Amino acid sequence: MKRRVVITACSAITPIGYGKENIVQSLQQGRSGVKPLRDDGLLTGHIHSRVFGTVDYPIAYEFTRSQRKTMGPVAYYACQVAKDVLAESGLPQEFISSGRLGVAFGSTHGSPTVQREIYKTFFQNLETEFSSIGAVDYLRSMVHTTAVNITRMFGITGRVIASSTACTTSSQAVGFGYEMVKYGMQDAMLCGGADEYDTTTVAVFDNLLACSVGYNDRPECTPRPFDKKRDGLVVGEGGGAVLLEEYEAAKKRGAPILAEVIGFACNNNGGDLILPNLQGITSTLRLALQDAAIGPEAVEYICAHATATKMGDIIESQAIEAVYGRGPFVSGLKSYTGHTMGTCGVIELIMTLYMMADGFLAPTLNLDEIDSRCAMLTHTPGLIEAKTNIAAIQNFAFGGVNTCLLVKNGLEAV
Amino acid sequence: MTRDVLQGKILTILVQDFEFQQPDLDDNLRDVHGFDSIDAIELLGKIERVLGFPLTREEKEKAMEIRTINDILNYLETIQQGRAQ
Repeated sequence: MKRRVVITACSAITPIGYGKENIVQSLQQGRSGVKPLRDDGLLTGHIHSRVFGTVDYPIAYEFTRSQRKTMGPVAYYACQVAKDVLAESGLPQEFISSGRLGVAFGSTHGSPTVQREIYKTFFQNLETEFSSIGAVDYLRSMVHTTAVNITRMFGITGRVIASSTACTTSSQAVGFGYEMVKYGMQDAMLCGGADEYDTTTVAVFDNLLACSVGYNDRPECTPRPFDKKRDGLVVGEGGGAVLLEEYEAAKKRGAPILAEVIGFACNNNGGDLILPNLQGITSTLRLALQDAAIGPEAVEYICAHATATKMGDIIESQAIEAVYGRGPFVSGLKSYTGHTMGTCGVIELIMTLYMMADGFLAPTLNLDEIDSRCAMLTHTPGLIEAKTNIAAIQNFAFGGVNTCLLVKNGLEAV
Repeated sequence: MTRDVLQGKILTILVQDFEFQQPDLDDNLRDVHGFDSIDAIELLGKIERVLGFPLTREEKEKAMEIRTINDILNYLETIQQGRAQ
């Protein structure tokens, strides 16, 4: 059984805004969400990269204590966007709790904020006489905390997939959710990812010389995907969720069709866990086209992974050229948000949906002088009006995991 | 600690940390305040701080029979008396 799968609701909390209006405004006005790295009182002083894709606006959470008690900061982002999506969908509680709706949701490593508090107890020998580690600390910090806090909050009883593959966490969530619905295992899937403010991740990439360090005094000027003067990625935070539904059921209940997911691919480089791999990535892009049963000429826009690392952008450019030639417009939207890690895939998908819906494409921010090794692509030349029918969202992760999602404009899908 | 002192401390914890609204000493903790097994474990950690000594595994298991705030106070008095002996 193969069924059509459509996106009927979405929501994102990002460094450039929360909700469609704010995010579209930032994309259209070229507004960066990269700010100075907040002081965590622990690692910040030792990190060379002093920039962060920051969610610094207030969010009016309305979670009860009973809901909050198992949630770390990462679950706040996750549950808030999930709440938005379920509210927007209008799905009745009877369906939500029927077992036919599942959740595919992840984060890079649960809640590092809560984990840090646990380690403080160990290493500072605090209150060893008492039960210093709270009963709920595991529930707040565990790697599947986002997925199961969502199921708990909304009474969702279907399947749970809690991917945790760094930068492909949420693109895998959407892809695996798509396959769940496509092959009839579930009728709908709530998919996405979230990651909280965390300096551990910054320190890791900083140690690997992968973080941007040259723009600490001008945070909005970095990251600079495909630019000659790019000097690395900028870690960020946020959350995003989409609702996937079986097309016929969505149509029958009159749900708005934001887009159709027409293809997904996920593979692994089968070797090095850090270095980008041209063969692996190229293969992912081709596999997604095969899954969608379309040729490369059908794709009009590519939302590139484009983290602004020295090698990553070049390898991705080569892969795009090998599969697509100069055909589609390409932009790297991490230039606005920074690299929101586990949530980047779904956030970039949602930004792509917004651009498709409103008929424009945003360029890569800070792309002042294209690196000659990335110049073989059709970089989106500034903010342009464009009616995009089919778009690709590409994400690649530490561990050698690659994903590509292909989506069709909702207006075309109906 | 007297029962009155214990009652003041426990009510403060239940109102401030567990967000109880107008707790009555005989309210069923689960039915009236949504207090569940996770909360019970969390409360035991706070009780250890109130008492100033750690509870044994047996004492903690005994706490699972608690249903009301009065039960909590009875439990605390029993533990205090046991330690005093």
